[in-house]
Amino acid sequence: MALLEVKNLDVRFAVRGGDLTALRGISFNLDKGERLGLVGESGAGKSVAAFSILNLVAQPGYIAGGQILFKGKDLAAMSERELRKIRGNQIAMIFQDPMMTLNPVLTIGTQMVEAILAHRKISKKEARDIALDRLQKVQIPSPEKRLDQYPHELSGGMRQRVIIAIALLLEPELIVADEPTTALDVTIQAEIMDLLLNLCEQENVALMLITHDLGVVSQVTRRMLVMYSGRIIEQGPTRDIINNAQHPYTRGLISALPQMGSPGARLFQIPGSMPSLKNVPAGCPFHPRCEFATEQCRGAMPEYVHSGNVDVACFEVAHRIEQETRMQEAES
Amino acid sequence: MTTATVSRWDRFRESFFWYSFRRDKVAIISSLVLLLMVLAAIFAPLLAPANPYDLAQINIMNSELPPLGLDGADPSFPLGTDAQGRDLLSTILYGTRVSLMIGFGAVVLQSVLGILFGLLAGYLGGKVDAVLMRIADVQLSFSTLMVAIIVGAVFKASFGNLMFGEIAIYMLIFIIGVAEWPQIARTVRASVLAEKKKEYVDAAKVMGFGTRRIMFRHILPNTLSPIFVIGTVQIANAIISEAALSFLGLGMPETQPSLGSLIKSGFDYIQSGSWWITLIPGMVLVVLVLVINLLGDWLRDVMNPRLYKG
Repeated sequence: MALLEVKNLDVRFAVRGGDLTALRGISFNLDKGERLGLVGESGAGKSVAAFSILNLVAQPGYIAGGQILFKGKDLAAMSERELRKIRGNQIAMIFQDPMMTLNPVLTIGTQMVEAILAHRKISKKEARDIALDRLQKVQIPSPEKRLDQYPHELSGGMRQRVIIAIALLLEPELIVADEPTTALDVTIQAEIMDLLLNLCEQENVALMLITHDLGVVSQVTRRMLVMYSGRIIEQGPTRDIINNAQHPYTRGLISALPQMGSPGARLFQIPGSMPSLKNVPAGCPFHPRCEFATEQCRGAMPEYVHSGNVDVACFEVAHRIEQETRMQEAES
Repeated sequence: MTTATVSRWDRFRESFFWYSFRRDKVAIISSLVLLLMVLAAIFAPLLAPANPYDLAQINIMNSELPPLGLDGADPSFPLGTDAQGRDLLSTILYGTRVSLMIGFGAVVLQSVLGILFGLLAGYLGGKVDAVLMRIADVQLSFSTLMVAIIVGAVFKASFGNLMFGEIAIYMLIFIIGVAEWPQIARTVRASVLAEKKKEYVDAAKVMGFGTRRIMFRHILPNTLSPIFVIGTVQIANAIISEAALSFLGLGMPETQPSLGSLIKSGFDYIQSGSWWITLIPGMVLVVLVLVINLLGDWLRDVMNPRLYKG
């Protein structure tokens, strides 16, 4: 059984003038100890997806349909009390900006001890020992001193280490990391990413990594999802997608990356921008920006098709596969 | 940061708060004066030459003696005596004590109410917010003095003068505290609205903390600095409100005078030449309120988040 199984998840935002659909029929699985990447432009619904996994979509958002099965139990149907036992305890989350995620008026130690005591019935002393152990695990210099320091006394990289240490406090089975390195220096980004990767491997923790950095995804994750306008448009093994993307959007994303081989060349750009939730185009949401768009794309939402190991929602890919199979049949 | 453990005192001495305090002469002088007055008030029973509450010590023959340096002064009454022959210095010391108690008491009460309702309104929002803030609006549309006069008059009529004298101090704390809570509630609510959108609140939710814990342990400490500033100024306001009520005869009785009721008791004799009974307590009141307000202004500058983020 998969650790996390999201089925047909719909998340909507109730605003004046009707509901806006932020996530539309999201489905994916995550096995124990697996690492999954979730990529997409800003506004694709990556962070909403992360929060909805913990059933914590901020007001006025709500889960309109679908299931989030964590170890077989549906988080979408759970009471707040039951959810609290899972949050922080079995599923931890790491946020984008380490400057903002720590409470500025409490010491690191206080915040860590409090998190442990919220879930475990142990003494303060024991909790402090656990906190110290985790700080050592994230290789922070002089961890004992850090316990009594306030967040503003630490650098950005150190704070993100503290946040990773907090995520690991209660030995969770899943860590959802929402752009954990975006706010950091490039040099520190690599360090923090390595650290997170190593810790997940050591402790056999599943990781859901949300990012718009395809480089990071290709290094860290085994499988990835590509989101566009609240839909998963392509999912499969990371290597297959990076080397041979099927969906025109994913291909655009990959060719938009700067290449070492061709210095000075103009970067590729996907024309246009992501539609706002208020006026998502009919049919495939990507069609206004897609060079292969046909009448069919404007009229209907494409279903997922298998292309090798990858699932893609695109008519163009579907046609190509059809043609290929027809040609193969003709040959044989 | 040479040692692994930095004591709270060291932290405080390195802080911006202490730094700006040392550089501000007004703040230093005001806090010294305030400290002196508070200490004098606390230790009034030890410092005062006489006990103004003890009727046996009062001799009516000593009434309206002028302060030292004027004709007819008695060296055992350095600031003179009032119309009942009580030593004015002792009465002022005891009166400052009463005034400060009412000031602090009222602010503690209004802070408790204001913080609680402000947090609930700001964090829970929706209907709770609407109801609490409308109550606050209604409350603010009555003047404190008007409510106090009505409540005071009702109390006085129903309990009689003697009983009223005993409960007057609690009644004043209650009236002033309840009348002023919306000020603090509104400020707290505004800061909570800003704080609850910050990521550390999301992080706290993700950790599985309950609503109560997030409100009181995570958001409240982050909204404290404006409460300190307002609380300080509100102490001065409460002291003034009390003085005004006492001056109108609805505050502290003359047997346990506050600064306000002392001013009032002397006011009847100001025409007959005994100006000191009103003027000296009046000056004490002005100085007390002034130093508290000056400290409040200084706090506002120091705790301005645009100047200092900590």
